[in-house]
Amino acid sequence: MAAAVGGLLALPAWANGWTQESLKTSGFLTAPQEEILAEIVETILPATTTPGAKALGVHTFIEKIVADCLDPKAQETFKKGLAATDASAKQLHGKAFTACDATQRTDVISRLSDSDKSFFSQIKGLTVRGYTSSEYYMTNIAHYKLIPGHYYGCVPLNK
Amino acid sequence: MHYLDTKANTFDAIVVGSGISGGWAAKELTKHGLRTLVLERGRDVKHVTDYPTTNMNPWEFEHRGQLPREIREQNPIVSKCYAFYEGSSHFFVKDAEHPYVQEKPFDWIRGYQVGGKSLLWARQTQRWSDFDFDGPARDGFAVDWPIRYADLAPWYSYVEKFAGISGNKDGLPNLPDGEFQPPHQMNCVEDFFQKQIAAKYKDRHVIQGRCAHLTDPKPIHFQQGRAQCQHRTICERGCPFGGYFSSNASTIPWAAKTGKMTLRPDSVVHSIIYDEKKGKAKGVRVIDAHTKQMTEYYARIIFVNAAALNTNLILLNSTSSRFQNGLGNDNGLLGKYIAFHNYRATVSGEYDGFLDKTTDGRRPNSPYIPRFRNVYKQETDFLRGYAAGFSAGRSSYNKQDGIGTELKDNLFRTEYGGWHVGSHMMGETIPKLTNFVALDANLKDPFGIPQLRVSVDYDDNDEKMTKDYMEQLTEMFTAAGFKNVRSYDNSKKAPGLDIHEMGGVRMGKDPKTSLLNKWNQFHNCKNVFVTDGASMTSTSTQNPSLTYMALTARAVDYAVKEMKKQNL
Repeated sequence: MAAAVGGLLALPAWANGWTQESLKTSGFLTAPQEEILAEIVETILPATTTPGAKALGVHTFIEKIVADCLDPKAQETFKKGLAATDASAKQLHGKAFTACDATQRTDVISRLSDSDKSFFSQIKGLTVRGYTSSEYYMTNIAHYKLIPGHYYGCVPLNK
Repeated sequence: MHYLDTKANTFDAIVVGSGISGGWAAKELTKHGLRTLVLERGRDVKHVTDYPTTNMNPWEFEHRGQLPREIREQNPIVSKCYAFYEGSSHFFVKDAEHPYVQEKPFDWIRGYQVGGKSLLWARQTQRWSDFDFDGPARDGFAVDWPIRYADLAPWYSYVEKFAGISGNKDGLPNLPDGEFQPPHQMNCVEDFFQKQIAAKYKDRHVIQGRCAHLTDPKPIHFQQGRAQCQHRTICERGCPFGGYFSSNASTIPWAAKTGKMTLRPDSVVHSIIYDEKKGKAKGVRVIDAHTKQMTEYYARIIFVNAAALNTNLILLNSTSSRFQNGLGNDNGLLGKYIAFHNYRATVSGEYDGFLDKTTDGRRPNSPYIPRFRNVYKQETDFLRGYAAGFSAGRSSYNKQDGIGTELKDNLFRTEYGGWHVGSHMMGETIPKLTNFVALDANLKDPFGIPQLRVSVDYDDNDEKMTKDYMEQLTEMFTAAGFKNVRSYDNSKKAPGLDIHEMGGVRMGKDPKTSLLNKWNQFHNCKNVFVTDGASMTSTSTQNPSLTYMALTARAVDYAVKEMKKQNL
């Protein structure tokens, strides 16, 4: 009962401000798992002339979403997938996924699309979502404006 | 019981609730110089400073908008609401905070804070017409409304000017024009659909929605500290511009400026106190949300604006020797004849024209199709009818093939699909004795107040109307040349999610069959007024908030005149 009444007052913790750094503490993944995840997202969306997924913190976002928002079954798919990725790297290239070069990593992830479809579509979907909802993408590519100030109903489409 | 100095706890007027109608009661009562106590069960929410998410970009949310699983699992009811997400969840009541009993499925969506749901509403403000107020008498259901459009028209104008309503003067008898600021634009396909329907149907119209957004603010709005709507379309987080009407941005600070308002948040109203000797109400019992201590407050008149079902709850819990079944409840109809709006069905489609055009910016509004069924005469096998929301949009997407540079190239290249169109119904439901709320005999809420039992359901009329909406909108979409037209009846969608629950304390001419008279005043407890959704005799097909505002301003005007005549 007291908790329910307290709830009338409580704002979510993030309403008081949070940073990329403050997200680091979820503890859902071990440090080695986090490293694998970071390299997987970077393999799916690598740095080119534009930032890669790792530089945009997509792996941090994914860990947060999986830990806080997904159901236990999807969490299991996720954790098993990370382990399977590493095992696959060792089998194919004789070393840990994080020790592989970019070509080898791409090879491992490409093969996942056949061998572990549910994890592949999960990790690819989350990577795309994390990337396209990042500040970099939304401001530079999607041209999101918090305050558009107008609505024009019929304008020429500029390809 | 905590007794304080009676004088310090005595006011000229008490308003229970600070949402869309309570805010108006506060503004109007203080305008007349009445010392007014406004009681709000939730926390204070000050305009701008208490909108913690209002200026956050999408990527600044910890879960980028998605709600954590724990919150969804703990809140199966409110999680169904379209507006409940990471950016707005702090303005919604969580399921455990205020339990109730669902005799039949009913998703009760509530906002307990200063401003109530006026922070969260969809801001559609269509006037009602005599086709609505005549409805029960003409079609033989509920009871006759004790008012007609002419009674309310000047009050619609009065509240519209202050709140700021945008729209077109469309000249439709079943959707009267108001005091409008410039309308939002339709897009190419909406405009096309409007013309197609005008050409093919003489009695069906597609118009731009009238909504409570400032598109050309006037001095009265600047005096409120409000500015032009900036088209952010994140209204449910609270608007720092005051671009849309809420109690927080408008009526509550306006009332505060008079120096006559005492706003007391965290004040859960337990019941209304009836003075047996004087034969009228003398005040309210309030439980402090933190200390749980009960305090009494006194006033000459009381406005109950706790939101439809909570107003019913408070009145049912206001028992006395004179009123053993709830305040004013001589006829046993308090809590009965609850109705709502049927939002079950949607119709969607695609259009393959205007491929060289798109839209730019965002719009906090959409077009509207006023009721066309059974308006002038009964023409179907169901009573009444439905309005419909309508909108079109151009979809853009990114191909997601490949991984690595191929995927990245795809994400950096936006493709345009065709236009999609969509519609949802807003059906009038028939108030019935069998749709009711009552107090549970045993279960209590965290404040020791009886829990509300809600027993509200669809009926055969709703089933027929839903089917007709799907058929008619499908026909209209097809006639306009839209392709892939699909209709969908979400029959599992329980009443409640419309957030348009109404009735239980209905207005009427006869004390034997209604609770309130034409001034929203209890027939048999003259100094208590109900001007929120609880007072509604029928539901119309239009969004109701504007009508609550007009009824409130009108009732306060009457109450003040009666006080001056020493009748109250």
